[in-house]
Amino acid sequence: MAKMRIKAKEKDGIVDVKAMLKHPMLSYDQAKKQGKEANFIVYIVGKVGDNVVYEVSTSQFLSKNPFLKFKFKGKKGEELELSWIDLKGETASKKVKIK
Amino acid sequence: MERRKFLGLGLGVAALSLAPVSVVAKNYRKELPDAWKIKNKDAENDLTGTNEAIKAVFGTDKTEEGKIKLYKIPDIAENGAVVPVNFKMDKATKIAVFQTANPEALVAIFDVPELAIPDYGIRIKMAKTGTVTVVAEIDGKLYRASKVVKVTAGGCGG
Repeated sequence: MAKMRIKAKEKDGIVDVKAMLKHPMLSYDQAKKQGKEANFIVYIVGKVGDNVVYEVSTSQFLSKNPFLKFKFKGKKGEELELSWIDLKGETASKKVKIK
Repeated sequence: MERRKFLGLGLGVAALSLAPVSVVAKNYRKELPDAWKIKNKDAENDLTGTNEAIKAVFGTDKTEEGKIKLYKIPDIAENGAVVPVNFKMDKATKIAVFQTANPEALVAIFDVPELAIPDYGIRIKMAKTGTVTVVAEIDGKLYRASKVVKVTAGGCGG
């Protein structure tokens, strides 16, 4: 899977987004058991242009390869940029056009 | 196009709550580092950790019932590694999710920007049976909704 998969569809002025982010989301407990360092996404933000349309600070308790659903007011053709940063400071970002 | 710098990366952006358009990005791992450490008690469905974490996030744990609709959350989760949690409400400024099943109580904090519609879905891990609580700040008041999810196979063991 690519770093993230995003589907954004607009209907009646509301954009419905389903996104799947690729990340092991290793909690401290899981990491200890596997002899690895804990690492999980801590912050996710979705923007259309300069406007933030989605933001969440997250914990180790989101499932592996987090699946997210959210809605915002928008239009077809606009571009949604979804970005995240994890505990280690690594980031990933993807842009999709709203269909 | 020039690569835009990812907002909020270690910069501790100050809150501009009266900004006409949602430009603020608030990373609560930086803003409230201790909230994420609040622990749950071992007793099943014990809300002590949840209430402490609610206080850490919102400033108080006094909440009212109503306004929040929880949906598509299973009564019984066969796989504790992936428990869907969905919730919606007419409006809100901040929403947080807590649970009693894992070592720490706080799961996520959503800031609801102006263009957003407060209807969210996430999937969480639950190590054992527990209570999932969603708290939302609506018009300056706090509301909460909870649901007990029975977990048959724990999700944190890996």
